[in-house]
Amino acid sequence: MTADPLDALRLPVVPVDPRPRFAAGLLRQIAAATGDSADPAAGGADPAALRDNPTVRYFVRDLATAIAFYCGRLGFEEELVAAPGFAMLYRGGLRLLLSVSGVPGAGAPLPDGSVPRAGGWNRITLQVTDIVGTVEALRAAGVRVRADVSAGVAVSQALIEDPSGNLVELIEPAAGYRERT
Amino acid sequence: MIYHRALPHVYGYLLPRCGSVSLAEDLTAETFMAAVAATRKPDAPELTVGWLVGVARHKLADHWRRSAREERTAAVAAQPEDAVDDPWDTWLDTDAAHAALRRLNVHHRAALTLRYLDGLPVAEVALHLGRSLTATETLLTRARAALRRVVREESHDR
Repeated sequence: MTADPLDALRLPVVPVDPRPRFAAGLLRQIAAATGDSADPAAGGADPAALRDNPTVRYFVRDLATAIAFYCGRLGFEEELVAAPGFAMLYRGGLRLLLSVSGVPGAGAPLPDGSVPRAGGWNRITLQVTDIVGTVEALRAAGVRVRADVSAGVAVSQALIEDPSGNLVELIEPAAGYRERT
Repeated sequence: MIYHRALPHVYGYLLPRCGSVSLAEDLTAETFMAAVAATRKPDAPELTVGWLVGVARHKLADHWRRSAREERTAAVAAQPEDAVDDPWDTWLDTDAAHAALRRLNVHHRAALTLRYLDGLPVAEVALHLGRSLTATETLLTRARAALRRVVREESHDR
């Protein structure tokens, strides 16, 4: 049997945190249904914590391509699109702003004449569950993998590139993984 | 607790396949409430993330079946001659294909999602859709042709 080109459409499950309000409501509902009344972890949706989402801005060359990449491949959801220059995406509590280089707004040239551009070494880090499978599927789909999966003490990591050449780091926690609790 | 751990996985499975936050939330809630109910039965399955994602897939297939009933009349009228299985070019812009998938009718979208996004064998796709193997193969052939047409139309529009 010959390879089926549509196999490239494979979409591995990338975990995405739902909106905190929804998650808290659902977990409360589950706790009520299972008779698990006092569930401290379910009470995490303090309304004050819902404001001030950590926000990162990426400069991209083409808005539609960038939205398709982040929403289709990495589990972001579209919140607002103001073509041709701007979009706001969410992935759980992370807010990602996309601005098109050279377009009025954040992508406009600075007074000194420099133009914000895609690229560079800084990047967002996204947690996935099956990093090897995820990177394989992304590569099969034509996504550029700059650094293949390497295993460390705390995480396995890989570096991929969005269609504009911005880096995105993928991590999967290992034994030594730690976050502030 | 397993439900906390599984929530991002179930939601992460559903969101890109639904293409809508509100639908993904509805189906996520349905999935978990069905799981809670299932654990009360005597032959309760072991609760794992993988099992819950499987429940989510069933809920998604149920949703497609409901929408298919609603759009039946429209869909039948709008299905002309998709029957030819055009071979695809080896090159395929997968982002464009994912976007195009959202514009297909619910039968085509369901079949292609289960077969290609989830990577299920045709026999399992048939089980989820409640169709025979032959009917599923025919549906997949038509769906591929429909997807190809939409991808082409959109690439011409640009």
